[in-house]
Amino acid sequence: MKKFLSAIILLMGLLPSVGCNQDERPVKVDLSKKEQVNLKESPDVITYAYLPQYSHTVSYQRHHLLVEFLRRETGLNIKQIFPDTFEHHIKMVGQDKIDISYSNPFIYVKIAHRYGAQAFARIVEVYNQESFRGQIICRADNHYIKTISDCLGKSWIAVDSTSAGGYLYALGYFVEHGIQKTDFSEISFAPGPGGKQEGVVLAVHAGKYDIGTIREGTLNVVADKIDTNEIQVIARTPLYPSWVYASRAGLDTEIVKKIKTAMLKLDYNKKECKHILEAANFIRMISSDDRDFDSVKKLAATVGISLDE
Amino acid sequence: MKLGFRSKIYLGMFSLLLLLGFMTLFLVSRIMSESLLEENRNRGISIGVNLAALMVEPMLAMDFLRMKTFIDQTVQLSDDIFYTFVLNADKNPLVHTFKGGFPIDLKTVNSVSDRQKFSIRLLDTGDQLIYDYAVPIFIGNDRIGTIRLGLLRTKVRKAINRIVLSAFLSTGFVILIAGFLGAFFARTVTRRIKILHESTEQALRGNLDIHTAPLLDKNCWDIMKCDKQECPAYENLHHRCWYTAGTLCPTCVEGEYAKKITSCQKCLVYRKCAGDEIQSFAESFDTMTQSLKAHILEQQNAEKILKNQRELLQTILDVIPDFVSLQDSQFVYKSVNKAFCKIIGKSEDKIIGKTNFDLFTQKQAETYQQEDLEIFKMSKPLIKESKLVGPKETKWLHVVKIPVLEADGKVGGILCSGRDITELKQVQELLSQSQKMEAVGQLTAGIAHEINTPLGIILGYAQLLLEDATADGQVYQDLTMIEKQTKICRKIVSDLLRFSRHTESVIALLDINQLIEETIPVVEHTFKLDRITIIRYYGSDLPSVKGDKDKFKQVFINLLGNAHDAIGTAGTIHIKTDYDKKNNEVIIYVGDTGSGIAPGEIDRLFDPFYTTKPVGKGTGLGLSVTFGIIDDHGGRIKVESPPSITSNVFDKVQSTVFIIRFPAVHH
Repeated sequence: MKKFLSAIILLMGLLPSVGCNQDERPVKVDLSKKEQVNLKESPDVITYAYLPQYSHTVSYQRHHLLVEFLRRETGLNIKQIFPDTFEHHIKMVGQDKIDISYSNPFIYVKIAHRYGAQAFARIVEVYNQESFRGQIICRADNHYIKTISDCLGKSWIAVDSTSAGGYLYALGYFVEHGIQKTDFSEISFAPGPGGKQEGVVLAVHAGKYDIGTIREGTLNVVADKIDTNEIQVIARTPLYPSWVYASRAGLDTEIVKKIKTAMLKLDYNKKECKHILEAANFIRMISSDDRDFDSVKKLAATVGISLDE
Repeated sequence: MKLGFRSKIYLGMFSLLLLLGFMTLFLVSRIMSESLLEENRNRGISIGVNLAALMVEPMLAMDFLRMKTFIDQTVQLSDDIFYTFVLNADKNPLVHTFKGGFPIDLKTVNSVSDRQKFSIRLLDTGDQLIYDYAVPIFIGNDRIGTIRLGLLRTKVRKAINRIVLSAFLSTGFVILIAGFLGAFFARTVTRRIKILHESTEQALRGNLDIHTAPLLDKNCWDIMKCDKQECPAYENLHHRCWYTAGTLCPTCVEGEYAKKITSCQKCLVYRKCAGDEIQSFAESFDTMTQSLKAHILEQQNAEKILKNQRELLQTILDVIPDFVSLQDSQFVYKSVNKAFCKIIGKSEDKIIGKTNFDLFTQKQAETYQQEDLEIFKMSKPLIKESKLVGPKETKWLHVVKIPVLEADGKVGGILCSGRDITELKQVQELLSQSQKMEAVGQLTAGIAHEINTPLGIILGYAQLLLEDATADGQVYQDLTMIEKQTKICRKIVSDLLRFSRHTESVIALLDINQLIEETIPVVEHTFKLDRITIIRYYGSDLPSVKGDKDKFKQVFINLLGNAHDAIGTAGTIHIKTDYDKKNNEVIIYVGDTGSGIAPGEIDRLFDPFYTTKPVGKGTGLGLSVTFGIIDDHGGRIKVESPPSITSNVFDKVQSTVFIIRFPAVHH
């Protein structure tokens, strides 16, 4: 009996320890020792920017290997930066905040026209095409839109007023088929920043807009977000030169040369280059200059878009 | 200190509840604390991971405003989030929520590798404890920075303490409720056990009229709607029908509990009325006490009968003059009667359990032992006459020893029966003496007859010579003496002849006074020689009695002679006659002034051959013959010594009075 009572008393004695976690041993820290944050960039940084047709994350994922490669090959302190919008990208080129610009041809002709940027290379698409085009899409269950003429009077969402594949090429295609901007019930642009190509597909898929215009290849990007079979491609625009690398005006030509040389080294057949190119979603780069983009300049003039706007 | 059953139950129950409560409290508190900590940890991780995902875009864009907005919003989510900050890939803070600068220690105090999803460290700032969460910021497989989050542990601890306190109070409340309920149920158990205990004590004290089981709300006659009043279970409130034999229910099996219980257990009454184990125990206890009571009564009756029979048997054994004893196979006395005790001279309790060696002399015991062994060996009874020589007297015993056979035919003991034949032996001796005396008497009668003639001749010649002798001369005196002594001799011879001769009785009406007056002169002369005077008190107008005159005379002579012998010399013999009208009897009183009779001798006075006289002086037949004659005549004789007041009819105090009564005959 006495042992039994002792056990009970012992258990009662254990009560205060209930809830204590003996495994945690705190580390002493002194919060009073403080410093001010100071993030100074080194002065010789070469900034590299990818026109934010997609989100920053996608931009990073596509180009950070390439940036590393260029840094490694050129020995330059190349750093990728992420403008929030196409306009922001254009302005940053003008402000010399972007040294190397990777943009669509429409933006290129703008920054070339406005700020004297010089094209030095362009990419070859994954299907080994040196050009690309835009697509006009609608929902697959939209029985009212089957041809380009059915787009008349419909609401249209485009990627951006500065987008080539997502707006300019499609607008040129509409004009070519006798459909003016004023013939649509509504023309909207996808909200930014970033992810604007995907935003167009998602907006059409959601049924908010009747038609949308995107760069060819965007449907593959959103394949993990929606069932792309639910999207119907009404028409494809003619091919135009693909995306272009341009240097800002005033950038040291030696630097441009180094970078161009490194870029042209990238060979899809080489193991060490293949993953870089796959990430960047093209198979190689070729040399280019401003003349390659005359067709784009002509298209802008055709649809009535001023390169100064 | 010995605890009672109730105390033990309470203590055990309370201890168990306490133990259970503490165990539950411990486990619940532990689990809840762990859960809360885990939840808090997961919450921190969740916030960190979410923030890391949100930080990717602004970090890539180096959008400090968005980064700051995100971390400020995070801190505002809950007041237990102490701080948040973002480190870049070089582990330099990009944005933070501290005011007045970034605490340097926090940079390195908690780090998370690329392989880890998070890292948690408990930090002690001196004022409070903080859980620091480090979550890496990835783009794909590329690490671009780290999110750090600080959650106040104090908040968590307070929550845990609140839970523990709630659990403690809840457990205490539950223990209290369970304790009350347990005490209530325990009390119902212990109360019934106490009743059982009291009933047991009552039973031990001999009170078997106890009712331990509770009364039922509905009994078998209510349930079965039965009105068989002759059924033993009917209106038997204190006993259950399944324990009662001989119930009249149509579904009942005949017999007692063991036979009917299987059937009863299927009965509606049993299913409705049967209680728990304690109630069943109490009911069976009641039945058991009733059964015990009945058995005790039966046993008491049997014992009473047995006792009566034993007493009867003992009475028979004690009353019979024969002594009886029973010995077992070890020759130990197991039972004896009073006669045996008397023979042995010891009380029963000093004989039972003893052997012959304890009761008799060594020699006697050895003799008896040999006899007993022989009986055991031969299994045959022994009949013998045994002389028992005691310090005061010698006794003759007629003994029969009978072997007592057991069921298997073996001798298991000896029954010894015997009787005191000392008197018989004495009578046999006296009879032998009497036969001898009879022969002497016959011889004496013959001799007397033969000497009667010579005595007549001697007397005749003596009387003839007297006629011739001078009266004054010596010869005359001598002749007178010869005549006198010859007459005496002739009287003796005549008495002897009359005693020995069996003469026919001549019954006639007799005047007692006259008869006495005729008898006294026969002895008076002789008595005078011894200075013994006979005084007569004759009653007047006595009725006659019927009888043989000679035998009556012999009676008087015997009584007068007996008085003479009692007086010896110098004394008075009184004779008185009277008539008892009431009983119509003639009474003769013969008293003397002699030495009297000892009290122990009076009862044997009329026994044949009983005499107190010296050897040769008496035969012991005188009073016996007297008794016989009086009895033959329908009379009675009684002796009182000293005489009672009613019997002392004489002026002078007498020592002995013989009172003889004869039926009176009226003309």
